[in-house]
Amino acid sequence: MQAPRKPHRYRLLLLAFSGAAMAAPDTPVDIRFTPRTPEQMSAFYAARGFPQPMVELLAKQCFITVRVHNRGTDTIWLDLSRWHFSARGKEVRRYHRNHWLPLWKDMGIPLAKQSTFRWTLLPEALDYQPDEAEGGNIILPWVKGPISLSASFASGPDQRGPLIRLRYDNLHCAEDKP
Amino acid sequence: MNLYRQLWLLILLIPGIGLAPLQADNALPKGLRVYSPGPAPVFRLSDMDNEAFALDSARGRWVFVHFWASWCGPCRKEMPAVQRMATLLEDEPLLIVMVNTSEDEDTVFSFLGSYAPDMNSLMDRDGQVTEAWQPRGLPATYLVDPQGNIRYQALGGRPWDQPEYLAFLRSLSRSDGTN
Repeated sequence: MQAPRKPHRYRLLLLAFSGAAMAAPDTPVDIRFTPRTPEQMSAFYAARGFPQPMVELLAKQCFITVRVHNRGTDTIWLDLSRWHFSARGKEVRRYHRNHWLPLWKDMGIPLAKQSTFRWTLLPEALDYQPDEAEGGNIILPWVKGPISLSASFASGPDQRGPLIRLRYDNLHCAEDKP
Repeated sequence: MNLYRQLWLLILLIPGIGLAPLQADNALPKGLRVYSPGPAPVFRLSDMDNEAFALDSARGRWVFVHFWASWCGPCRKEMPAVQRMATLLEDEPLLIVMVNTSEDEDTVFSFLGSYAPDMNSLMDRDGQVTEAWQPRGLPATYLVDPQGNIRYQALGGRPWDQPEYLAFLRSLSRSDGTN
């Protein structure tokens, strides 16, 4: 059995501005964050015929569109259970996509709208092939002030390559941009 | 016969290790991924004109199965290339099957009118067919062989109208999928 190689460590101090994107330099993983305002998300979902209670509930959350691009030559593995958000030293628990299922069921949301909603989310797990880019939204409870993210990606076809660690210390919900 | 010639003959005779599949893999355009062959989830859907289509009716031909939605940016970027590809390959025995994910006729009609007026699309009205295929994201394209197995997967949107993709699809559509 091959032992995992020594992890790469990257510490990044990056600023997130509403509508802007940012990239992590010097890593095989390029992540761009774009905080979305409640107005943007409400307009997006309402324009697609989402029921009003669903739109209202989503408008209260913190949406950040995330695009992950594998710029390396090896497979990298997204696993959102390895993404940890915090603000003012306390954990901010990201809403797993399964969190919404019982809510939509209780609201009687049509399957088509539930499906579209799921496709707008970042996958919980995905093996990014070299040069592959996929994205989607992550949803956090709305918090004021800077949000930190510690994220790690396994790499290599069997996930035994170097562990890629990333840290972002100045993410924001869109309504709290500096 | 010397040992080397015997070895080469052995390699050429072993199914799956012959020269033809190696050539096919070398010609794989960027962003296409070989898929461990497995049966494509079957579906029966209707298009915007209410014409029904069942995937298993396409046995014997390669099928380009494309999942998309109008709200998805890469889909908007890719769709004109899909239409140009369809035009350029219209004499090939490749079946192009578009599947819209979870949208209504008005939205799809309006979108295709702007981006790909010659294309029609099946309507996965509740999104459950798309869910069954478990794409990596939207857009998602799969190439299904004449036996009904998924053989290739595209990673994200691709410039399907470019020569390397057209050559690959032409070559594929003329093969029987047994390599």
